[in-house]
Amino acid sequence: MQRYKRAALIGATAVCALIAGKAQSQDKPPLVIGLTSDASGQYANSGAEERRGVEMAIAEFNAKGGVLGRDISTIHIDTETTPATGSRVAERMIARDKVAFLIGGVSSGVANAISQVAQKYGVIYLNTNSSSPSEAGENCHRVKFVWDGNGVNFSQAAVKSAMEAYGPKWMQITNDYVWGHDTSAATKKLIEGYGGNVIEDILVPQGTRDFSSVLIKVQQINPSVIAAAVGGDDLKALRAQVSDLKMGSKYAWINNQQDWADVYGLPKESLFGVFGTTWYYKLDLPGVADFVKRYQEMYPDTSMKVPGNVFFNGYWATRSLLEAVEKAGTTNSHAVIKELEQLRIPAETRMQHHDAFMNPDTHQMQQTIYLATANLDNDDPDDLFKIVSSAAPDTVMDKGSVEACKLESFEDTPVYEP
Amino acid sequence: MDFLLPHILNGLALGLLFALIALGFTLIVGVMEVINLAHGSLFAFGAYVAMVIIAEGHGEGISALSWYYELPLWTRYLSALVIAPIVVALLGFGLEFCLRRTYGKKKEYGLLLTFGAALVIEESIRLVWGSAEQTLTVPSAISGAFIAGDMIYSIYRIYAALFAAAAIGLVWLFLEKTPYGAMVKAGAHDGEMVRALGINLSRLQLLIFGLGSALAALAGIILTPIWGLRPHVGVDVVIPAFLIVVLGGIGSFWGAVIGGLLVGMTVAMTGAFASDWSIMSMYLLLIVVLTLRARGLFGKKTALES
Amino acid sequence: MLNAPGKARMVTPQMAAFFALLFSYPLWSNSVGLYDYLGLEIAIFILYALGFNLLLGYAGLPSFGHGAFLGIGAYAYGLSQIHIAQSLPLGLLAAVIASAAAGGFVALFLAHRRGIYFALLTIAFGQVFWFTAMKWHSVTGGEDGLLNVLRPRTALMSLDLSSNVTLYYLVAAIVAVSTLLLWRFVHSPFGAAIQAVRMNETRARFVGYRVWFLKWCVFTLSAAIAGFAGGLFCLTQESAYPDVMSLHASGLVVMMTLIGGGFVSFWGPVVGVIVYFLARDLLGAHTDAWLLWYGLLFMGVMLFEPEGIAGAWGRLVRHFSSGAPTAAETHREPAA
Repeated sequence: MQRYKRAALIGATAVCALIAGKAQSQDKPPLVIGLTSDASGQYANSGAEERRGVEMAIAEFNAKGGVLGRDISTIHIDTETTPATGSRVAERMIARDKVAFLIGGVSSGVANAISQVAQKYGVIYLNTNSSSPSEAGENCHRVKFVWDGNGVNFSQAAVKSAMEAYGPKWMQITNDYVWGHDTSAATKKLIEGYGGNVIEDILVPQGTRDFSSVLIKVQQINPSVIAAAVGGDDLKALRAQVSDLKMGSKYAWINNQQDWADVYGLPKESLFGVFGTTWYYKLDLPGVADFVKRYQEMYPDTSMKVPGNVFFNGYWATRSLLEAVEKAGTTNSHAVIKELEQLRIPAETRMQHHDAFMNPDTHQMQQTIYLATANLDNDDPDDLFKIVSSAAPDTVMDKGSVEACKLESFEDTPVYEP
Repeated sequence: MDFLLPHILNGLALGLLFALIALGFTLIVGVMEVINLAHGSLFAFGAYVAMVIIAEGHGEGISALSWYYELPLWTRYLSALVIAPIVVALLGFGLEFCLRRTYGKKKEYGLLLTFGAALVIEESIRLVWGSAEQTLTVPSAISGAFIAGDMIYSIYRIYAALFAAAAIGLVWLFLEKTPYGAMVKAGAHDGEMVRALGINLSRLQLLIFGLGSALAALAGIILTPIWGLRPHVGVDVVIPAFLIVVLGGIGSFWGAVIGGLLVGMTVAMTGAFASDWSIMSMYLLLIVVLTLRARGLFGKKTALES
Repeated sequence: MLNAPGKARMVTPQMAAFFALLFSYPLWSNSVGLYDYLGLEIAIFILYALGFNLLLGYAGLPSFGHGAFLGIGAYAYGLSQIHIAQSLPLGLLAAVIASAAAGGFVALFLAHRRGIYFALLTIAFGQVFWFTAMKWHSVTGGEDGLLNVLRPRTALMSLDLSSNVTLYYLVAAIVAVSTLLLWRFVHSPFGAAIQAVRMNETRARFVGYRVWFLKWCVFTLSAAIAGFAGGLFCLTQESAYPDVMSLHASGLVVMMTLIGGGFVSFWGPVVGVIVYFLARDLLGAHTDAWLLWYGLLFMGVMLFEPEGIAGAWGRLVRHFSSGAPTAAETHREPAA
């Protein structure tokens, strides 16, 4: 068993060491980080992108001697976009691989399953990319930190300006599952708050591949704005069908977040409407170009030539965690949690327009939310987005999650010191 | 009626597409009594192969083929329509060779072998082309939209529905008007008889499996511009295909076509009035039909029941 | 036939080996690179697969929607803990009752079916249940699942179930007792009747068996066992998720049962579950494409050894003991 386990670890460390270009120090045991990203199922591609982000942050730390003098290695097991698998993988990584931290999650179901196990053992878990409002709301945990903007943040950023630009007659298309409902309910509240009204809310089941009847209804109702809370593969099918009908430009569409992994490589014409993101590789800010260059040096063979928001979240989650460990001077979970709860990153470091900070009551990263549309101004196939606006974190805060989230006390959270 | 008419037309078009999905499946299950669970993976594989042949934004790396990339898009699209089904038919031949070992044993073995094959094909697609969403580019003549009255119609969807109708017609002609079709139908009813008539049954089975696979690929090329293309797109296909075939009655060609239309109409109508039930409605329809008619609409007794 | 009626012994070498493995697992698992939680999942799935094989191997009824009952059991367990009281017996009872009721209802539609129509209807019902679990989020939590179903603090004899090892011994004991009961069941006259139905339904009817009722019973029983396993699964995971009800998950239990050799041996599902979970855990840590290898293995089994690992083993035993039938063989005649 020992030999087998070594092989897995060495494989992972070798990559890091190679990139870091130095031999690893032998005096202290390496710090193992468990990567719980999906590698199959509908979030496989996002899972791969966020893993690259996590690994780049780790490589940067290893290059300067690891954390607290310990080299960092990783182990990855596919969580299959399946919660039950998430539970098992978390149990395995904690019991067998003795990981220090768990990082990675796109599907909220999987992230919940992992965080429940992590809370039981007191292991810190970073939910890098699940944008479900419930993640930092009713399903929040003391050990879990959420790094993506959620559906409510994006709605906050979009609804008011869309109302002003396009008028009060709204229609919603909502994926009939928890994320869809949460996001849609938040959007509806905002619409009504700003004096608009929702003429119709069309629920589409998860797994819908044909939106023709929905698109016929859109034309029959003829709303001024359509707010779509459709995710995963369903959104990909919707995108293909809207683009085919050229309905993207005929109506004002407000989409939720478009993950880079889901749109990269698609023709620009197929992107429709306004949508949210937390970061873009062409933001005109210092450090961004260098960050993109570091990405390209580390991943020269990846088909994704530039990093996106999913990568960004994975990178920053990991980097902030490791910095918190250094600052705390220990891997003791309570100490690191307390450091992370006070986390504040200046805008220039974070490469966003506003300072980002951790909300200590929900454990969700509060960050700049950007709105974007398809960039049809040039022929660069990588330059997909045109950023239209940016909103400061406190203007797009998800207040509902503050009410819904009840973090466990420190007494009820076991101390874990890997 | 103004409200209903577009939905009815839409249901019809959708029904033809569903029938196209079921076509290859029904051929194989009708003649060979093998439930081909790899149908969806062959569908996906066909679409990926077509993507490579169309080579829009892919494959330009091979300089020896640069003359090919300069051909107009519609030429490349037409070659994909011809070549991709042939490539997939070859894979189908390979699968049939494997399946032979299960003939004469429990029927479940064949079904499970194709289930394994589905996993293998899907994972192989993932390894070769990655998990990312891809697009299958179609010539501009069959893409875009037009406005009639106050509704926007998709040209591609009309093309796809007509293509499906033509494919259904061609398969019907093949079955009814060619000597091969007669053999196929005889084989479906009585394998012994076919052998007695001096027809090579194993070659016939090979042919049918290849044809069924090619039809799966064709459905993939037609449908993925609408559904999008990803390694697990086959999962969205195999269940509706299976359902339609059983709904119409196993072994019945027109059963599958009518089953497809019925499912299309049901999905479109629930989509119009209770869209959150539009997937569930398929399954409820099946349960209702099978409760009323044990072998589906036009089904006859087959060996698959034992 | 899987086994000849009336010849059942209380304890066979296979059973002794299985129990020894089951109860000693926590003692050696860590030193060979396994972990307690994996043992819990394997034990629970063994129970699930053994119950499933009543249907597939013994009655010859291929169900592709059995995950639904595992899921219903898990939700029933979870809901009873959250809304009624935190109690292990109550939860497991709720799991069994709910899944048996659902199974009994579905069986009304299925019991006169065979072959492909049977299989397809199980898929359709399985999808309806899965869909309901996803859609009815106010009760089931939708795709997030039913969370925070805490393990009861003091269930029996004040055991601390929050420890995976303690929970493992409890689950192992439950699985062992259930296995014994199942073993007795398949060797009872009722078990023989079910197999008679599989061999030849018409003849069975002719001899006077009420075939419809037999099939209804075995489906309901099998669903109840799946639900029982689902209750244990929810206890272990402290949550119930809809994914176990998906077609994909239901297909996997069929694969496990067949790779192990459920058609030819009572113990086939046990072997199949162990192989699947170990392959997933060991290969899965090395390659994301492990399903490719598992799929190839499965195809290989179907091509060259359709009776599964148990079938191959049986042949091996026969080969080395040509003539003298062993204890293993009397219970493992090849399927017709």
